Amino acid sequence: MKQITIISGKGGTGKTTIASNFIKMAHDHIAVDADVDAANLHILLNPIIEKQEDFIGGAIAVVNENCINCGKCEELCRFDAISYSSTDIRIDNLKCEGCGVCEYVCPVGAIVLKKEKQGQFYTSNTEFCKLVHARLNPGAENSGLLVTRVRNAAEDIAYSQDTKLVIIDGAPGIGCPVIASLNGVDYALIVTEPTLSGISDFKKIYYVAKFFNIKTFVCINKFDINPKNTVEIESFCALNNIEVIGKVSYDENVPKLLAQKKFIIDYPDSPAAKDIRKIWERFEGYFYG
Amino acid sequence: MIISVASGKGGTGKTTVAVSLALAAEYCQFADYDVEAPNADIFLKPGIKNIKKVTIKHPYFLTDTDKDFSGCAKFCHYNAVAVIGTEVLFYPQLCHGCGGCILVGPEGAVREKDVEVGEVSKGFSRPGIDFLEGNLIPGSMRTTTVQNELEKMINRSGLVIIDSPPGNSCSMVMSVKNSDYCILVTEPTPYGFNDLLISMDVLDSLKIPYGVIINRDGIGDTVVEDYCNAQNKKILLKIPNDIEIAKCYSRGGTLFDYDKSYKEKFQKTLEEIENSIFQ
Repeated sequence: MKQITIISGKGGTGKTTIASNFIKMAHDHIAVDADVDAANLHILLNPIIEKQEDFIGGAIAVVNENCINCGKCEELCRFDAISYSSTDIRIDNLKCEGCGVCEYVCPVGAIVLKKEKQGQFYTSNTEFCKLVHARLNPGAENSGLLVTRVRNAAEDIAYSQDTKLVIIDGAPGIGCPVIASLNGVDYALIVTEPTLSGISDFKKIYYVAKFFNIKTFVCINKFDINPKNTVEIESFCALNNIEVIGKVSYDENVPKLLAQKKFIIDYPDSPAAKDIRKIWERFEGYFYG
Repeated sequence: MIISVASGKGGTGKTTVAVSLALAAEYCQFADYDVEAPNADIFLKPGIKNIKKVTIKHPYFLTDTDKDFSGCAKFCHYNAVAVIGTEVLFYPQLCHGCGGCILVGPEGAVREKDVEVGEVSKGFSRPGIDFLEGNLIPGSMRTTTVQNELEKMINRSGLVIIDSPPGNSCSMVMSVKNSDYCILVTEPTPYGFNDLLISMDVLDSLKIPYGVIINRDGIGDTVVEDYCNAQNKKILLKIPNDIEIAKCYSRGGTLFDYDKSYKEKFQKTLEEIENSIFQ
């Protein structure tokens, strides 16, 4: 079994467009939406939920009425999550990382760690394959942990059904959900665009993939909007031995078809459709070879 | 007054909007909270004057003391410490730097060292714009630690513009939570709409007022606009889809470089926001 994660650094470069069209062309596969706080893969794949599970995330500290206001917890909290005044102790849920130091140092047992449901994850059937996806509660923490849950659920299915390929649509950025989506995969596909922002973020995410020793490919989306920047990306790739697996043309049909919930590859005369098919054909050897 | 610029979906034009607001205001503090992929510097071109490293503390274990470290492994909520026999295994990727292992471990046998997770930098972009930016080191997961450092440098007595990271999780909440108003930038596609609704949920629960800017208007459908009209959500501005804007952006140009009349439009937007806050 091979696993590939599609990432980008910068958002909106076309990760989900590439992922959803790959999913339509692939066989013996399973799809994972690892962008758990802004998931979009379900929009084109139209999943029918088969199984639903709660996601219990990390703990946060809660103060109770036994508090004697001694301030020990505030002193030792490294995350500035506790504010202390002469009348009470307050915990900032957003800053609390559930480390348990306050619970440990509290002399009267007035702080306990509590775990809460922070979202849900689903195993669904689609027209093309199974999809494992999630919904993190709006604003919740631990998105990386939820990505790991979703990937474990997908791997369980993949091993039991002798699946050949797991296609993972990643999140933007380079932080914890992205790292969780890259952990242990065979390949990373970086979708970038020839803008100065795209290039800057591409280099960062490339260093992350390299840090975790993952074989990385690059796809330059909308490559024709700035030929000079496209050359810059290509030379960076040549210098660092990264395979540019393909380039996709700027194509206004992409958002237009998306608005109708249609796949670009179903319009074979469309420039982007031709380019994406070509990239898929190059990948097939890596996935099924 | 703090105005944050956020979006559920990435790449909808947060930075374009945030930079335009700063240039329209002329005097403000600008903070790039997208520490995983900061890009505002490309457009605001600040001269960076000051860089401060952001560090957290990681433990190391003096194992030649023959002491028992199993309490550290038991305590660690992140599973960053494991003890097998006399050997201590430490997984730096998982450590949040809480210092718990020092409290529970054998006295004096757990020490700490600083580990760099990123930096915050400070500079000036044109006279009038104070520029702040956070940068996470690739491979680190301490996004909110770097953001927390930025938060300490915010001076809310004047106008502050915050450029948030995409998404709707903790790093987005860190960026918007102190704002008086949030602008949600979206694009008129099913992806943009889906993620916009989640961002609205976040802001509603934080009780932060917000308005919507529709970028690349015309590329997809009218679902965003229809929804905002039906639900009485303020649409502050629509920026039309135009390949020339995209080309200008790709070279590091601002919206004003492309068309000067945007300055007036964004000044009006700022005025409108101010009026809605202080009504």
